[in-house]
Amino acid sequence: MSDTTIKNGNTVLNEFDQPVKGVSLWQDAWRRLKKNKMAMFGLVTLILYTVISLSAPLLPIHSYKQQVLEHQFLKPSLRPAGELMYERQDSLTHRLAAKEGRELNAVEIKKLSDLKASIEVEMKTLLTGEEVLVHHRVYPLGTDSLGRDLLARIIYGGQVSILIGLLGAITSVIIGVVLGALSGYIGGTFDSLMMRFVDIMYSLPYMLLVIIFMAVFGRAIQNLFFALAIVSWLTVARVVRGQIMSLKNSEYVEAARSSGAGTGRIVFRHLIPNTAGVIIVYTTLRVPSFIMLEAFLSFLGLGVQAPFASWGVLIQDGVYAMTTYPWLLWFPAIAMTLFLFSMNFLGDGLRDALDPQSKNKL
Amino acid sequence: MSKYILRRALGLIPTMFIIVTICFFFIRLAPGGPFSSEKKIDPQILKNIQAKYHMDEPLMVQYVRYLGDVVRGDFGPSYKYKDYDVNFYIGRSLPKSLILGTMALLIAVIMGMGAGMLSSLRQNTWVDYISMSVAVVGISVPLFVIAPVLMYIFAMQLNWLPVSGWINEKGLIALILPVFSLSLPYFATIARLSRASFLESLRSDYVRTAKAKGLKTSVIMFKHVLKGASLPVVSYLGPAFSGIITGSIVIELIFRIPGMGRHFVQSAFNRDYTMIMGTVIVYSLFLVIMNFIVDILYGYLDPRISYK
Repeated sequence: MSDTTIKNGNTVLNEFDQPVKGVSLWQDAWRRLKKNKMAMFGLVTLILYTVISLSAPLLPIHSYKQQVLEHQFLKPSLRPAGELMYERQDSLTHRLAAKEGRELNAVEIKKLSDLKASIEVEMKTLLTGEEVLVHHRVYPLGTDSLGRDLLARIIYGGQVSILIGLLGAITSVIIGVVLGALSGYIGGTFDSLMMRFVDIMYSLPYMLLVIIFMAVFGRAIQNLFFALAIVSWLTVARVVRGQIMSLKNSEYVEAARSSGAGTGRIVFRHLIPNTAGVIIVYTTLRVPSFIMLEAFLSFLGLGVQAPFASWGVLIQDGVYAMTTYPWLLWFPAIAMTLFLFSMNFLGDGLRDALDPQSKNKL
Repeated sequence: MSKYILRRALGLIPTMFIIVTICFFFIRLAPGGPFSSEKKIDPQILKNIQAKYHMDEPLMVQYVRYLGDVVRGDFGPSYKYKDYDVNFYIGRSLPKSLILGTMALLIAVIMGMGAGMLSSLRQNTWVDYISMSVAVVGISVPLFVIAPVLMYIFAMQLNWLPVSGWINEKGLIALILPVFSLSLPYFATIARLSRASFLESLRSDYVRTAKAKGLKTSVIMFKHVLKGASLPVVSYLGPAFSGIITGSIVIELIFRIPGMGRHFVQSAFNRDYTMIMGTVIVYSLFLVIMNFIVDILYGYLDPRISYK
């Protein structure tokens, strides 16, 4: 006799008359994932980034393309921009006078007091059309070479980077899954042709081709996207092909085939859903690699074009300004690194959760 | 074995041929050319320039001519830098990129496997935690963030190392920052890979037998475990080479090293056809040969692989 009995036809009870709940693959995976602190940290950070990116237009931040030229290279501070400007001018004038070994002259004093007065009253019409006391603006993370708010640029740059990462990962995974699944299931000539092609693509220095592509065909965002998507499905295709090949002789596929299901139905209805774990893990791990690729191209000057920004563009700006204005490098670098960390932790955690016996821990 | 090597070596030729062909037509597909500029050039002058570089011929004729030149080892004249040919630029910059890439890869392999071995022997101790944390940083943080940050700390704030420059001006010390930053991502991956495979080997029967015989840990590690455990690392070397190539471009730009990466990026912007082709061919040749060596090495290390 079995240990479990069925009462009232729906509740399953064990030998102690306690209800037994079936645990699905996904519940099981979620339970394992919850135990992994780093992965949960990654998940929470990811949600935070998503919420900030999506709600960016509602947040009380400045416009990412509003330039205030007087405000260039202000350091990160919670005080209004005017005070920082005045301090900078004040210390500059004093240093100049000290170097020449004299007191401030009348012209300089007047200039300073004029500046102080104008800070209180000067109005400026912003790109949005509203008129504000421009020197009362606060830049928590400082400003860049054109007096744009770095915080806003990091948030809006993050939008662009994350979007490219997500869209790129999804596109490359879709291409890879479809081609890999068909190749693994059909086999024969189609399979060997596919794998030959993948081998050749692997031996090409494809990043060089992507660079040439971007330089030659123009730096539009859709070109970037296209260039990255066509070179990045190879690994996914290989992995999915392997999975499908090991699944295609299982009983449930046999059953589907004997009841008359066609190739398309078997592949898309039965085989792909059963490789969902691998696919989800790969998508998660591809997002950071896409963001890194985009940032790499932006770093070479081939990525997203102004007035838009991405983390890569901001870091590139930061690298050239870091000698004097290090915060222009620190903040974008931290924002991007934290995101990449979280995605990698989450990806690793998902892999451990969905496939506890996974051999290739990389 | 030698038959297999010969066949694989001959197989490199079609691969290179495909790369050259794809590249050649890919670049010519694009609108504009090396001589299209903001300034209006007199049509007759443009015609003369194009005739000089054989660009007035049909595309197929140009292609065949170019193939012939490349086979003879001549990459043609640069379209942007008059008076010099591509061979001159590549000859001048290739050694620098080669030193940079080789050193970075060597350091990544030696230190990565060392760290992997140590962490597997001292699993869950501080050695393990430190090397694996460094590895996580190396994998997650992109090169163009790590390199400027290291440069800011060690060159600009502490003044220990030069900010930029090359061996001929600054001495070997100029190599430290670029080589270490370039090797970090590959060090990280190799450390994680080799830790996992060392751990697996340490649990295997033949290691237990070796321990039971009373062999010293060092003998077990280097005579028994190392060969088998280095397999995943060797198979990772292929992707690592291509990564090092793109990475060296970034490093050369950040540390202002006059290597091939700078010429490559510059020529892509300038549409300097012959220069793009020349640099891509040299990079690909390097990559293809390295992959070939890795394949041979893999077969040598893993007796289960048979040469057919």
